[in-house]
Amino acid sequence: MAIAEKYADRIDKHLSKYPDKRSAVMPLLYIVQEEYGWVSPEGIREVADICEMDATQVKSIAGFYTMYSEKPKGKFWLQVCTDMPCALRGADEFHKELKDYLGVEEGGTTEDGMFTVEHVMCLAACDKPPMLQCNFHFHENLDMEKMKVLIDEWRNEVNASVKSK
Amino acid sequence: MYIIFREKEVTDIHKFDVYMKNEGYDGLKKAIGMKPSEVIDEVKSSGLRGRGGAGFPTGVKWSFIPQNEPVKYVAVNADESEPGTFKDRQILENNPHQLIEGALICAYAIQAKAVYIYMRGEFWDVGHELDKCIDDAYKAGFAGKNILGSGWDCDVYTHLGAGAYICGEESALLNSLEGKLGQPRVRPPFPAQKGGGLYGEPTVVNNVETLANVPWIMRKGGAEFKKLGTEQSAGTKIFCLSGHVKNPGNYELEFGATFRELLYDHGGGPLDGHTFKAVLPSGASGPIVPLSDEVLDTPMTYEDTPKIDTIIGSASVIVMDDSTDIMWVASKVTKFFKHESCGKCTPCREGTYWIDKVLDRILSGEGAESDIDLVRNVAGNMQGTTLCALGDFAANPILYTIKHFPEDFKKHVNGESAPVRAAGD
Amino acid sequence: MVDIVREKEKVDTVTIIIDDVEYQVPKGSNLVDAAKWYADNDIPVFCYHPKMEPVGMCRMCLVELGMIEKDRATGEVVLNEDGQPKVRWFPKLQTACTQIVSDGMVVRTNTEVVEEARENVLEFLLTSHPLDCPICDKGGECPLQNLTMAYGPQGSRMNFADKMHLDKHVPLGDLIFLDEERCIQCGRCVRFQDEIVGDDVLAFHERGRTLQIITNSEPGFDTYFSGNTTDICPVGALTTADFRFGARPWELTEVPSICPHDAAGSNISLSVRLDRDFGGRAKIKRVMPRQNEYVNEIWISDKTRFGHHFTGSDRRLHVPLMRKGSSLIELDWTTAFNTFAELLQGANGDVAAIAGNGMSNEDLWELKQVMEKVGSDRLGAWSPTHGGAELVAQVGVGKGTNLGELGKGDAVLIIASDLEEEVPIWRLRLKRAHDQGAYVVVANVRPTRMDDFADVTLRYAVGQAATFMNSLKKDSKEVFEKLTGADNLVIVAGAEGLSLDGSRALAQAAANLLVDSGHVGKPNNGLLSPLPGPNGMGLHYLGFSPFTTQDIMANPPKVLIVAQLELIADDPSASAWLDKVETIISLNLFPDVVSEKDAKLILPIQSFAERDGTFTNGERRVQRFYTAQGPIGEALPAWQILSRVGEVLGAGRSKPSAAAVMLDIVNGVPAFEGMRYRDLSRIERQFPDVGGQDLYYGGTAYQNKGGLGVQIASVADSGDVAKGDVASADAPKAGKSQLVILPVTRLYNRESTFEPSMLVHPRIMEPYVELNSKDAKKLGIEQGDVVAVSADGAEVRVKAYVNGNAPEGTAIMPRHLASTATPLTLTVGEITKV
Ligand SMILES: Cc1cc2nc3c(=O)[nH]c(=O)nc-3n(C[C@H](O)[C@H](O)[C@H](O)COP(=O)(O)O)c2cc1C
Ligand code: SF4
Ligand code: FES
Repeated sequence: MAIAEKYADRIDKHLSKYPDKRSAVMPLLYIVQEEYGWVSPEGIREVADICEMDATQVKSIAGFYTMYSEKPKGKFWLQVCTDMPCALRGADEFHKELKDYLGVEEGGTTEDGMFTVEHVMCLAACDKPPMLQCNFHFHENLDMEKMKVLIDEWRNEVNASVKSK
Repeated sequence: MYIIFREKEVTDIHKFDVYMKNEGYDGLKKAIGMKPSEVIDEVKSSGLRGRGGAGFPTGVKWSFIPQNEPVKYVAVNADESEPGTFKDRQILENNPHQLIEGALICAYAIQAKAVYIYMRGEFWDVGHELDKCIDDAYKAGFAGKNILGSGWDCDVYTHLGAGAYICGEESALLNSLEGKLGQPRVRPPFPAQKGGGLYGEPTVVNNVETLANVPWIMRKGGAEFKKLGTEQSAGTKIFCLSGHVKNPGNYELEFGATFRELLYDHGGGPLDGHTFKAVLPSGASGPIVPLSDEVLDTPMTYEDTPKIDTIIGSASVIVMDDSTDIMWVASKVTKFFKHESCGKCTPCREGTYWIDKVLDRILSGEGAESDIDLVRNVAGNMQGTTLCALGDFAANPILYTIKHFPEDFKKHVNGESAPVRAAGD
Repeated sequence: MVDIVREKEKVDTVTIIIDDVEYQVPKGSNLVDAAKWYADNDIPVFCYHPKMEPVGMCRMCLVELGMIEKDRATGEVVLNEDGQPKVRWFPKLQTACTQIVSDGMVVRTNTEVVEEARENVLEFLLTSHPLDCPICDKGGECPLQNLTMAYGPQGSRMNFADKMHLDKHVPLGDLIFLDEERCIQCGRCVRFQDEIVGDDVLAFHERGRTLQIITNSEPGFDTYFSGNTTDICPVGALTTADFRFGARPWELTEVPSICPHDAAGSNISLSVRLDRDFGGRAKIKRVMPRQNEYVNEIWISDKTRFGHHFTGSDRRLHVPLMRKGSSLIELDWTTAFNTFAELLQGANGDVAAIAGNGMSNEDLWELKQVMEKVGSDRLGAWSPTHGGAELVAQVGVGKGTNLGELGKGDAVLIIASDLEEEVPIWRLRLKRAHDQGAYVVVANVRPTRMDDFADVTLRYAVGQAATFMNSLKKDSKEVFEKLTGADNLVIVAGAEGLSLDGSRALAQAAANLLVDSGHVGKPNNGLLSPLPGPNGMGLHYLGFSPFTTQDIMANPPKVLIVAQLELIADDPSASAWLDKVETIISLNLFPDVVSEKDAKLILPIQSFAERDGTFTNGERRVQRFYTAQGPIGEALPAWQILSRVGEVLGAGRSKPSAAAVMLDIVNGVPAFEGMRYRDLSRIERQFPDVGGQDLYYGGTAYQNKGGLGVQIASVADSGDVAKGDVASADAPKAGKSQLVILPVTRLYNRESTFEPSMLVHPRIMEPYVELNSKDAKKLGIEQGDVVAVSADGAEVRVKAYVNGNAPEGTAIMPRHLASTATPLTLTVGEITKV
């Protein structure tokens, strides 16, 4: 179903915040990502219609910001901060161990489509390294031990939800 | 003593009722009892300066807004993307109402019709919590129509960015809010002027910490605030301490505190078996300084830091110990600015890309001595020629790391150091 | 954009100092423009373009900038100890392109720091640029290349191995290709589409060094103006499908010419080269804009740019032909002239001529002479669709009009015209008027693209345009008052959805409104009509009328001269009445049904590209075009053929040249007074100053060396204004099971002067008819069905579009999309699903 119907209330709320429709393009792109798992071409067209923008302009916005993904991602999008302050406290090593543990390259996704790992710039958590954000939720003061526990939890989460379906 | 981090004295101050029990929104009530111009004068008299980096006097900035314009806005800068900066997030998490109150006081002072709080997208959870706090403010009549019976209407909204450091630059922030590319605008016109602000209307852009100071100033008066700190640096400042120290974290200290106090008394000193080597007092974008005793005893103020050839900026103090290869630091920081350059202007777009290429070459052991001069020269050519300050920010780390730590570069070109994997790739 | 030439008269000036010399420049002008115009100082730019808003992106224009200090209290200039004014310099270099001049501004453009900054910016740009100039279309006329030579470093210190490798051949649309490696991210193309065209189908994608031009629109980058981006792109990143690697700029000769397609009369430059595959003759390699700020500024439509291939088409007629029984035999010209004369004489006066709108003023004059000689005044103008010409002659836009000046306080009414399709350049310029604050009203029976740039859009019943105009005061008071109360008012009155009489009536109603409100006889005021073809007004001034054509169709003559038009391809009813004509003499570019089936004599004529001549555009501007292309076979200019025939008929010696013909016109037609070729070739310095050595400033549009032309004064200009009564003209009534068929114009169609431009074919719509959903339901027709449309005694099969655009009871049907004729003017017909 198109986001216009499925998320009508949230979309109206966002539209009501700004004096013009174009300003709602960013919150709406998040909704597209939530619905399709990435900023898909049809999603872009839907936003273009709602915001009364040319689809070219919407794609332009989607491409400028790093939190919109123009390609499909794993269920859990792990973004490890490897910026200098975190890296001073071992973030690069942590990032590498994590990739090795999940068996993926930078930006790659595990075969089961569960995890995508990439490194990102400073996330404003420099006092709690190593840290990452998973689907935009922060996890700080990490090490691989804690990480393995989290990964299992996330796996179970998904399996559980699959069963319940 | 705490102006901002009141959670340290009052538990759960982030909760609306707790905040209300502790002089919550008294500042706003007081302000609304005054003329807007009087509010601006009060803030002027406090000596409050912008905490976003530039340190511009806040009251003066507000006074630039033309009163006769019918539509005006306040944009709260919560983009907090400077490496080493993590104070605004703590304010939003632990004392959100004080920011909302501060923003509303500012809005009243310039008679704005709306406040937009622009948060970096990564503050996803914080942002959604903040929406609830804003609802509380509406319910209590501090926001929305006819606020506290004053006949003045003002809405408060949050807006989440989506991962772009440049959107912390005020004009890029406004573009981003308008649903345009988050690239800086040509100035003049400045945000405070007609044609330069949000939707072309006069707009005040202030940092989170800046505005969080305002309720206190309204309650206690500008004069009281001016008493705190030093001549040119009034009040307290949150220092974000990260890197090679025992206790990294945010510390709210009265202006005048020295690097030594921060690094040792609060930061707990260097990690065991190490000694301090250098410090970046203003995040990745400021000039690096070798940590000498002279530096350690310098007060971390707007007026004193220039004496040691650096700035306090947003007070994001990143500490490096003797284990640190400063050339690696330069490379890391360059990768950040290359990744964050918006691409709008030539020197920044091409310069960051080029410098990064050459630094990688040096780190991989392929570089020549002349490459060091090349990056210094390229960085020099970026300085002062770009559309916004990001270009200068990107040049600083190169120029100052080479200036203060040439040997850390040389050892990579004369084979003394093993090749280093390009940082972060 | 502040046009500093015009502004100088209007606004007061300020004093600025450039490199120690004082200049008086108009307040509000841009520093780069002012320096160029008044100080002859070319500040290098890449992203700045004088027709667009400054963005300060490329940083090429960095200069030292300061202000003369004035004492706050007294306003007195503060002096140094040496008595010189004290200058407060900015600590950093500033971009000149983002500076608006102000009193006391001090600029240094020639210091070491500035030179260094320029060198640095160029070096930065070259770090990513491929430097493949030898194989680049832009090579030889490339701003980056030129500026690098002027200010650049001795090669880049960027190691080539470090360069980015990107896609060098991205089709942005059918006609434009992007080379990502060459793009320097100046944003000119993006801003052109957004600011000038108002259709933002281009944008930047990603950021930093990966910033790249994209389109994500459906269908990509194919607006009617896309080609202009290749002119303003300061590097070879954007190239047209037509010219990619076609020839090197320095091999080309530039010949001034006029667009042969519409009433705008866009000034163009034909780039020709002696070409082997063209028998060693001069061949048109590309069409470029030629600056005429009164007419097309520095822009041309894609039809103008890509629609030139018909001139070199191998379908062109090569030799004179005569019908002998069932076969056509070749004639030498002398025999042809004689036969022509005999055929005319044999008609003892029962002769008529219909002239196409592509004939030059000279052609028409000579045709008129021949007709007079044989005692006929039946001069028809093709096509019999637009009736407004004589009113344009009376109250058309005043002498000195420049549509680009319309703005705040002014008003524009566009009625019964789809301007984007009919005269795209007018639509572009009136969009600018809208952006500059003019009050724009669009009235039509259906939505059109121009609605996007209208302050108000109004609708009326099919055929009722004139009535609507007359009742405007009553029915839309506010609009009426805004229009009549405007400082300047221009009305564009077309013929869409009207009969010939209907369009005449509308023009009259518009004229009356203009006269009543005093908006005639002065610049930027009056009437415009989107007459088809490049010389619709020429037809009028030389005595050819569409009403005569109607009469000719009703009472066919014994002998008919058909000059540069294709009756049967245009008009379904033509073959019927042509049967009553005994002898047809056809002068044409291509063989058509008339010449193949009926014509007795078929004479090959030259296109506009092969000879000299003049057209009179919709603003009554008479403009010259020059010989560019080599001749095709034995084809001659129509004026020459007719002049020679005249000689045989005893009208005196034939004319040696088009210039000589124009002298006769000047003497014979009062309106053409003062229009000898040398008058028409006159030029003046125009703002902005494009086409000089500094291609980086304006782009590759050419400076006007062929003449700006001369505008014919309207009757109102010369002082007398008269109103006329509006004849009532009703639309044809559709019987039951019938619909009114409403023919409309599509810019891209299958007319013989456009069809040969193959590369535009993907953009020509397949034949269609637009139906209202109610009517469609009644007829049981659905979106996409193939339907048979029978009207004016012919049937065509086309695709049906069911949408809200067609008024109920009406079917909208574009002309010239099908291979056979579709209705030319408003009519009725049956539409059935097949
Ligand atoms: C590249 C760049 C990034 C910036 N990022 C931030 C930021 O994340 N947060 C912030 O408050 N100010 C940032 N600034 C400063 C803002 O432009 C602006 O000066 C500030 O928000 C003004 O608020 P203040 O006067 O309260 O400090 C940045 C400036 C530049 C040039
Ligand atoms: S394609 Fe040409 S005009 Fe467009 S941004 Fe690139 S260089 Fe500029
Ligand atoms: S910045 Fe001035 S021309 Fe590009």
